[in-house]
Amino acid sequence: MSHPRTGRALIAVFAASMLVATACSGGTPSASSAPSAATATAAATPQQGGRIVEGTISDIATMQPVLVNDTASGRMTGLMYDGLVQQDAKSGEVKPKLASYTTSSDGLTYTFTINDKANWSDGKPIIAQDWLTGLTAVGKSAKTVRKSTFQDVVGFNEFCAPAGSQCKATATTITGVTIDSANPKKFSVKMTKVSCPAILDLSGYTLPTQVFGKYVTATSKAEDFDNAPENLNPTVVSGPFTFKEWRKGDQVILGKNASYWQGSPNVDEYVYKVVANSTAITNGLKTGELTFGSIIAKDLADMQTVDSVRITKYQSLGYTFIGWNTASPTAVGLADKRVRQALAYGIDMDAVIKAVVFGEATKQVAHHVPVQWAYPSVALEPYKYDKAKAQQLLKDAGWVAGADGILAKDGKKFNLTISTNSGNNERETLAQVAADQYKQLGINAVSKPEAFQGLVTKLTTGDQTLEATIIGWSLGGDPDPYQIWHSSQIPDPAKSVTGFGFTYFKDPALDKAIEQGRNPTDGNCSTAARKANYETFNKILNENQPYNFGYSNNVLAVSAKTLQNFDPGSFSTIYNVHQWWIKK
Amino acid sequence: MRTFILRRLAYAIPTLLGISIITFVIVHLAPGDPIRLYTFGSRATNEDIEALRHVYGLDQPLPIQYVNWMWKVLHLDFGQSFIYHQDAAALFIQYIPNSLQLTVVALALQLLIGVPLGVIAALKRGTWADGAIRVFGVMGHAVPAFWLGLVLILFFAVQLRWLPSQGLLTVGKDVWDIPDRVRHMLLPAFVLSLTGIANYSRLLRTETLEVLSQDFVRTAHAKGLRERTVMFVHALRNALIPVVTALGGILAGLIGGALVIETVFSWPGIGRFTFQEAIAKDYPVIQAAVLIASVLLVISYIIRDVAYALVDPRIAVK
Repeated sequence: MSHPRTGRALIAVFAASMLVATACSGGTPSASSAPSAATATAAATPQQGGRIVEGTISDIATMQPVLVNDTASGRMTGLMYDGLVQQDAKSGEVKPKLASYTTSSDGLTYTFTINDKANWSDGKPIIAQDWLTGLTAVGKSAKTVRKSTFQDVVGFNEFCAPAGSQCKATATTITGVTIDSANPKKFSVKMTKVSCPAILDLSGYTLPTQVFGKYVTATSKAEDFDNAPENLNPTVVSGPFTFKEWRKGDQVILGKNASYWQGSPNVDEYVYKVVANSTAITNGLKTGELTFGSIIAKDLADMQTVDSVRITKYQSLGYTFIGWNTASPTAVGLADKRVRQALAYGIDMDAVIKAVVFGEATKQVAHHVPVQWAYPSVALEPYKYDKAKAQQLLKDAGWVAGADGILAKDGKKFNLTISTNSGNNERETLAQVAADQYKQLGINAVSKPEAFQGLVTKLTTGDQTLEATIIGWSLGGDPDPYQIWHSSQIPDPAKSVTGFGFTYFKDPALDKAIEQGRNPTDGNCSTAARKANYETFNKILNENQPYNFGYSNNVLAVSAKTLQNFDPGSFSTIYNVHQWWIKK
Repeated sequence: MRTFILRRLAYAIPTLLGISIITFVIVHLAPGDPIRLYTFGSRATNEDIEALRHVYGLDQPLPIQYVNWMWKVLHLDFGQSFIYHQDAAALFIQYIPNSLQLTVVALALQLLIGVPLGVIAALKRGTWADGAIRVFGVMGHAVPAFWLGLVLILFFAVQLRWLPSQGLLTVGKDVWDIPDRVRHMLLPAFVLSLTGIANYSRLLRTETLEVLSQDFVRTAHAKGLRERTVMFVHALRNALIPVVTALGGILAGLIGGALVIETVFSWPGIGRFTFQEAIAKDYPVIQAAVLIASVLLVISYIIRDVAYALVDPRIAVK
């Protein structure tokens, strides 16, 4: 979710993962893209050669897609391995990539046909077995965190190991996957139930069987795959770039895959350059050492004075929020909806955005961000700053100021500790500003930075000492909010249940909307049907305010003006990387 | 000499054992669960997390974990990084050459600049040169390294474009491109060495003045020896003894203390790497890092003690 100034991003954002705690760069709805590079240079003929140097503050951890659990590694594997499907960079709509697909009328079976032109970099065709090799690897690996992603594939749980409550390890094959006997590029996947987010999950991990097949045989052990040397040194790829070298902590060097099935990339090399922090990225962009990278809002004004770069703003799929512990034994006021609404009216979020992220964010009042199709079309309560209304709501809830000016109810003062992860300046400032503004309402609010490591454990394991917490989410490709908002995700230490439901807020109508958007009983996974459910879902959250939904940052992508066809969107930056070129 | 070194190495064993226990306990008792941290935001279920914990042996009682870990370490197996899925020690060791080149150059700068400055200040005591060197010495201590680093980057890299702003090599250059490496090393090595230069110049000034006032120097002068011989053969050699003392501590500081410089200059060294791993609670790597760094430190102290004997024959190595 957030990375300390100097540190690596601790948490992963991977395209396939549904949600992710976000680093301090979030993203937002001001879809104020600068004139896109693609449009501006569409007429020019791409020049060949050159090198793209992307700046990153985190080194990669692995180049094995099945084991990837961080943004940086996801970027590299995304350049080397293609998925079956992809999302439109701007709208998030699911589109074919390696394969076209159809869904059966009952919504339970997906049939994929891999593109005829799609070959591995060694010239061998990419076939259905390669996708199955990836799925088999997920089932066998002891170090992947993706087993639950495929739990609804028929036969996967019987196949995967080690035996536990999900995996049974009783079968030697995954029965739900059938490869067409007449066409090695065609296969179908049967699901145990209709699952709307499944299509993105099934994009899967197509791995070269000629390389990884030997690590996932019937007799292979988990470590055979987990420790495969090719995980750190991919030899055969399906994506636009091949692996050249990984200089740890410094750079990853990729070369163009001249036989890439969608056409050879224009540039010769793609280098992922690791630098220490956002300041180093800004400096590298100014000096031309980097071709592109994302900067933070603080550096925007400075960057706007640099002639050699182009700045593209777009909304990120995430937001920074204050989560209220509605079951807090110490801040009892948070259990009352009126109090939480008062806390929404009582903070001038627009002013906060100006102060904390220099205006480069948009206020959020519900879970989904506007760039997602799940964002409701109906109007939501905007919670405009209104101190008088906040005070009235607190009064209605029975909180009245004592002689010391502090609100109290039933003899108990309204104390509120707002925790956040230390080292993240943006969040620490937000916590201080929020505490100051809540003090003006008569709440004895204080901000408390603490180490991210401890905070994560407290949040997910149900530690009731947390009253309010500022962190952020980075939302995945599919808008399914199950893992954050379904009541099954509320931590319960007594039953050893852990999860991200650390507001302890639950509502049967909310659960129902989430379930119907995810596993509809009528099997209808159409965007319209799901959107209706997510409207209900967002309205409930908007009214009940289990979070103060905070704001969603802009991504500030800065690229050298010489980089052509660079046209990132909220859902993808590198979708057209093989068409990028450097103007000499 | 050999007995001395062997005995020192034998003393190192309980020291390292103690360090390993303290590190292990601190790392494991610090708040936060590494697997929960690793999986936070992913779709890993509670069961996935428990399975991972089992894979890494984190579901065992702490003393058992320690014994298992130590047993493996004795077989040179430091375990696998939770994050990189690679051998923890091998990961750490890969960063040592980067740190070492920066450290060695910084150390050389400290000696090559600091020692002459101190001697000059002593010889020119009371002159403007002495004053300037002393002011420089105070500034070298007072200026925060991160600030100076940033200012130098802004000036030499961003404004003048004379030097690179970060890293150890220009992208696209071969790893053996020495001139390119040197260009990258100039700023970080200078900033890293600054405190040391200041230290040495002050130390040497004081020591040289003290030595110069001693009888044997006067005797040497009285013998009619040339000024240069008196200075370099008699005075400086004696003034260098405290420098060697300081050297051991400085080596330790350089091994662990380049974190700030490595961060400001995006230098992929052990300081920054270990710091990142500590934040991510990657136990095997942190433990491997501390243990390996401790071994290096013990060796550097032994080298220091040997150096004593070389500089001053009165100090017998027993």
